[in-house]
Amino acid sequence: MVNIVKRMRVLRELLWIRTGPGALLLPNDVTKIGMEFSARIEGGHRGARKFWREMLPKIKYRNPTIPIEISRHKEPDGPSLLHIFTSTVPSTKPPTHLPTLTPSGPPTHSIDVKSLSESAILEKLIEATGAKAIETTPEQQQQMEEIKEFKERSEKDREMVREKLMKERREQALLKMARGDAAASS
Amino acid sequence: MARPRHLLAPLSRIAPPSISLPRPETARLAPSAFQSIRCAATNSAPKEKKKKKARNTYLNYDLRKADQFALVDAMQYIRAFEVGRNPSSSKYEMHVRFQCLKNSPVIRNRLRLPHPVKTDLRICVIAAPGSKAEAEARAEGATLVGEESIFQQISEGTVEFDRCICHIDSLQKLNKSGLARKLGPKGLMPSTKMGTVVTNVGSTVRDMVGGSEYRERAGVVRMAVGQLGFTPEEMQRNIKAFMDAIKKDMARISSRTVKELHEVVLSSTNSPGFTLTGEFRGEHSISPKELSGPL
Repeated sequence: MVNIVKRMRVLRELLWIRTGPGALLLPNDVTKIGMEFSARIEGGHRGARKFWREMLPKIKYRNPTIPIEISRHKEPDGPSLLHIFTSTVPSTKPPTHLPTLTPSGPPTHSIDVKSLSESAILEKLIEATGAKAIETTPEQQQQMEEIKEFKERSEKDREMVREKLMKERREQALLKMARGDAAASS
Repeated sequence: MARPRHLLAPLSRIAPPSISLPRPETARLAPSAFQSIRCAATNSAPKEKKKKKARNTYLNYDLRKADQFALVDAMQYIRAFEVGRNPSSSKYEMHVRFQCLKNSPVIRNRLRLPHPVKTDLRICVIAAPGSKAEAEARAEGATLVGEESIFQQISEGTVEFDRCICHIDSLQKLNKSGLARKLGPKGLMPSTKMGTVVTNVGSTVRDMVGGSEYRERAGVVRMAVGQLGFTPEEMQRNIKAFMDAIKKDMARISSRTVKELHEVVLSSTNSPGFTLTGEFRGEHSISPKELSGPL
């Protein structure tokens, strides 16, 4: 099992899924979100993939009832789309609408997201649905800063340790070579 | 008599040279960044080398400081991490950690979960054709049933199954056929130790079709316990069944060794591990209904 310190660090960094851009509440009439893009980033699919990896977990965390589906094709020239399905009758029920009503018709909005960055895609999504972003509290902001600082520091430390290790290894290799030569000459 | 002369020359060297090198005092005061941070190397030399005794238990940490999650909370996170993935390829996993000696007997068994995780297992049953065991095996969904025909297939090199069971009456024939050479390396050779030589073929096949095996490695039992589409209630039943089975196994070997549960972690194919508290819902958890829908 992974070391507990490592595991707890990952859990502390779970903050990213709760806050930041992408943490938003979708309105009740959104029934499903779909995406369609290429499996490889050539041809302007980078933003779409980034959006999936960085923004969609946040959206899913805040809106667990809304199904999110992704289909990836193989063609770089193929479409790169963001589908938003909405129910025709805006429901006034609380957000715990039962997810059995999966939409079957064509999507209400189909946004072309080719060559767009993930933040631009998010803006388009908010524009189309009127989603409400969740504010980051100052405490969370501070925590994020701490995590960022920690990561920078660990990167520096890592470099230092690597340098030291390489030096040791180099010295040992030199020693070994010298010893080997001595043994050969005598 | 030559000795004093010899000594004289070195003595003259002891006196400081007239042109002594200026010491770089200022440089010393400002240590390099490397030294200022990594100071572990300046440890005083150990007085006597103590031989460290090798640990004979698995190292376990205090969990009071650890973040722990209720099942619903963990599932909410896991579902967010698995967003957009194929729900049939991602699975929920359980990791159960024990507090025990390293050389204690391992927990190893198989169980049938209330909601099976995978159902496409191919099972081969070695039983005499025309016997009652053969009929039972076929009825329960074994893909290959027979004796000589299977032996011939295997010796030709076609092994098209994932599990192999042998009826106790056919064991002698199997041993004589010399198939251990082919099946053994694949881990498919039936043996009493593994529980794959049985009298009641029907029930074993039924357990295997929806069943899954688990085994302890380095103090941890890992097993897939659910498909990603499961609701919290289904997961709860599966986890309960799994934990009950493990507790039973622990009770069985309790006379020989002390083995205690230490930590239960739920994770999935693409998510970090969440230590479970054992509760179904926490204080601020969302309603389990919200997690019952499609991904």
